[in-house]
This record gives sequence, structure tokens and C-alpha cells, in this order.
Amino acid sequence: MPLIEIKNASKGFGHNGSKTEVLKNINLSVEEGEFVVIVGYSGSGKTTLINMLSGLVKPDNGEALIEGKLITEPGPDRGLVFQNYSLLPWLTVEENIALAVDEVFIDWTKEQRKAHVAKYIAMVKLTPSAHKLPKELSGGMRQRVSVARTLSMEPKVLLMDEPLSALDALTRAQLQDEIADIWLANKTTVIWITNDPDEAILVADKVIPLLPTSPATLGEPMIVDIERPRDRKAINHDKRFKKLRTQLITTLLDAKGRTKIKSSVKLTLPDILPEDLTNLNSMEFINRRGPKRRTDNKREEVEVAA
Amino acid sequence: MKLSKDFITTWILPFLGIIAVLLIWTAISGGVREEKTPSGFTKKVKTGFIKDLPSPLETWDKTKKYITQPFAKREELDQGILRFTWYSLIVVAKGYAIALLIGTPLGFMLGLSKTFTRMFDPIIQILRPVSPLAWMPLGVVLFMGAGKHANDLGALFTIAVCAMWPTVLNTAVGVRAVPQDYLNVAKVLKLSWFKTLWKIYLPATMPYMFTGYRLSLGIAWLVIVAVEMLTGRIGIGNFLWNEYNNGLYTSIILSILTIGFVGWLLDRLMSLVEARFKSA
Repeated sequence: MPLIEIKNASKGFGHNGSKTEVLKNINLSVEEGEFVVIVGYSGSGKTTLINMLSGLVKPDNGEALIEGKLITEPGPDRGLVFQNYSLLPWLTVEENIALAVDEVFIDWTKEQRKAHVAKYIAMVKLTPSAHKLPKELSGGMRQRVSVARTLSMEPKVLLMDEPLSALDALTRAQLQDEIADIWLANKTTVIWITNDPDEAILVADKVIPLLPTSPATLGEPMIVDIERPRDRKAINHDKRFKKLRTQLITTLLDAKGRTKIKSSVKLTLPDILPEDLTNLNSMEFINRRGPKRRTDNKREEVEVAA
Repeated sequence: MKLSKDFITTWILPFLGIIAVLLIWTAISGGVREEKTPSGFTKKVKTGFIKDLPSPLETWDKTKKYITQPFAKREELDQGILRFTWYSLIVVAKGYAIALLIGTPLGFMLGLSKTFTRMFDPIIQILRPVSPLAWMPLGVVLFMGAGKHANDLGALFTIAVCAMWPTVLNTAVGVRAVPQDYLNVAKVLKLSWFKTLWKIYLPATMPYMFTGYRLSLGIAWLVIVAVEMLTGRIGIGNFLWNEYNNGLYTSIILSILTIGFVGWLLDRLMSLVEARFKSA
């Protein structure tokens, strides 16, 4: 039995009249210990997809299951790493993580919980900053705290919603490696969402493209059979990496090309014409009230395609 | 000597402003001139643009006993200006505390529950602009049963009711402005209702709450003068009113300046506290 799965789910937003389908026919099943990365365009419904698993969003049709049980609300068995870190700014690194630990391991002693928090701070290499507030940390450090907070709950599955997309490229690369290392050590099940195909292939066992059709659907999974730990410098020359990369990007681009939605919006400019300043001494405006109107001249429409 | 621009803007300019106001005040204030009548008597004649307005010098001369001995107690109605202020401050502190104790939870309820807002927002909007002078009699009536304390309790009631609204409204706004991200954290961590309130809502709302607290304190201090005039409690507002009835206009000016200065001081104090919570 897969650890976590989505069956035939669809989700739309908006009210009855103008409802937009975001996701349709979503089928996903992830085995225990797998590292799955879902790649898709920004705004194609990636966050909605992962929130179905976290329980923050309920599918309109179909169902999301963990260990065969229906997901109805968030729970500590599914650790969610937020895109924007979502650390509580009034708590230190230690307190942010302790908030999660105290909640999940209620029956532990105080010392046990404290040691547990320290262990995860050490895992993300933030022991020297344990007593700092989030605002004193860099973006990369904040996301590490967020990862540590989620890992410390020892969830059955780690859900990562574009965890690195707010970081600069170098920090991003470093954190990719760190998270991959942590995964190698723990073998927690991971579902990672990203918009970066390279990142996907670099960290994943299995890459699934989220095709930007309207509504979006999941494409065929691709197995990444490159041995770990992966060396990011060497991997650029790896044939399997290149092939997967081409395949993934082609799939995503083709899907986009095929289903390009044409939409045009007619935008009407305000009914005002600029004053003519070439003749500064002209007192022409005295004879009219208010600004010059476009409608006074002739009918003119400007179309802007959005 | 070359003055730094900083020094000029922080010290010289406000000083010049004060001088200017004192000059205008002197110019429009009245004085007394002695005139000989044809029958040989001397007659005092009031002069000036506003005849009964004492000049700055006269004000200082006649009120300096209140200032130089600010805590003296000569008689019940003849005490140092800071002693009067102190009586007022005690009442304000009590009324203000009640306002915060009621206003903060009320604000939280308004912020958390749409139903609650729909139910009570119209009432709040109607009660909010009511003047302290209008609440005072009702306050006394409400506590009529308390006998000789009716006035005191009525005063506290009035201060609390008038000062409560900024706290209520700011807290409500703050609660509504708590970012969804933080609430998602609470959901994912499965924090209990109480813990979400205590660990997420309260700290996230703190800056708004303190803005409300600052405004409330300002209003509480405004209200005390009206309350003392009506009830006759000893205090700075009562002193002002008595001296008006006695025709001692210099004391009125002294009272106004004191009330203004204390109000400003309270506001500075609260904004320091507020700034501390803003940075958090």
C-alpha cells in the first residue's frame, strides 16, 4: 500500500458562476521512503496540490489518503515546509522548533524535548544561532529553521512547497545538497514541489511534471536512476542527467504550447486627453470646463492583450 | 560658534515657536491701568485687546506658589499643582485599567468572530462617539446603590467607557490582520485553540494592541477633566473649574498647561512602550 496518495482529485476556486478549475484528474501515489519531486510552472496549482496532502485544502472531487485513511485536516504526520518559511517572528530559532516539538511529543519529559530540539538545530547547522530571532537570520538560515521545525516533528512524510524558491541560486544549491544529505540519513518520505527542473532531477528519485493544461494534470513520472550522493558539478556532464533534463523540459514546454490559452482583455483608457503644452501661452483651456475628453474628438479604442 | 543643523531643528526652532506664542499672548492679553478721576479718586481701568486674559508674566506671578511648591497641601482646595495632578492620575489609572481589561478581550472577540462583529458592531459604532459628559450622569445613576461612592464609581465608569474604544477597535483590526501563514503554522502543528490564541494571535496582535492602548490613555486623560468638573472630585480638572468660579483666570491657564504637559508625557511614555513591541 502506498504511504500517501491522491485519487482522481480535482479542485477549483471561485464561486459557482465563475469557477475556475485548477487541478483535474490528479492521481498520485508515493511509497514509503520515496523522494518525489513535482515540477511545474508558477501558478499552475502546485501549492494547491500539496495542500491537498497537508490537509489545508480539501479536493472538490476524489480523495487524498494517508496510509489508506482519508485526509481531512492537517496533522503532525505530514510535515509541511512553507515556501515563505512562516517562522513566528517573536520566537527564537529554538522556541520556533520547540513549539512544534512540545505539541507533538507531549508525553516526553522537558529534558527529552530540549535535547530533541537541540538535535535538529544541530542537524541544520544552526547551533550558534539557536537563540536568535528570525529577523537576525539570512533567508537560507530561516528556511533551514523551517526544515528543522518540520523534521523535528518526525513526520511520516515531508511536504515541501517550493522550499528554496525564495533563495538566491548559490544558497539554493547549498540547501539542496544539505536536504538531500539529511534525506539520505533519515530516509523520510518526501514530496517536494519546485519550478526548477534541474533541482528536481538533482534531488529526486522520481520526478513528476505538473502539466500546465487548464486545468492542470500530472504527467508521466520519470525515474531518476542516478546514484547518490550526487555531485552537482559532475552531474552536469552525466548523460542520464542530460537526457532526463531534456525530456522533462520538453514535456513541460510541449504541454504549455499545446494548450496555450488565448485571452484578450479590452482595456478602456480614461476619458481624458493630455493638455497640449507646445503652446504654453495658449489660453484655450479658459473656454472649456475640465480636461479635454477623448470622446470629444473621435471614437478610439485601444486593445491590450493580457 | 557654528550650530549644527540638528541642534537648530531639535532645540532652537521649538524655542522660537514658544517665544512667538508668548509674544502673541502678551500682545492680546489685558492689564490694569490706574486713572485719576476728576473727583480725586484713583480708578482701576482694564486695558488691552482681551481685557480679562492675564498676560504670561501675570500668570507666572500669581500661580508660582502652585508650581514652586508642587506637592504642598495648604487647604483642601489650595494644593500644589502636581498634587492635584496626582489625584487625577490615580483615577485615570484605575479607569484606564478597567478599559484595557474589558477592551482587549472585546477586541479579540470582534476580531475572531464574524458573527460577534455582525451582532455588536452597530452598537459599538453608536456608543463610540458619545461624549464623556453624556456618560457621566448615567454612570452615577448606575452606581446609585453604592451611596457615597456613587460619584467615584461613576467617574471610573465614564473613563472606562470612553477610553475603551480605541483599544477595542485596534485590537480587532490587529486580530484580523494576523497573516494567514502564521495560522497555517498553527493548523499544521495542530495547536489547541487556547495555544493558538496565546502563541500566535496575541504576539501577532501586540503592536496593534499597544497603538490602541496609547490612544486609550490619551482619551482617559481627556475625560478626567470633564469628570472632575461634574462630580467635584478633587483633582486638576476640579481645580480648574473652582478657580474659574473664583475668577482666578491665571490658574485656569496654569491648569491647561499642566494638563497638556502631563498628557504629552503620558503619550511619550506609551509610545516608548509601543515602539518596543513594534520592533518585536
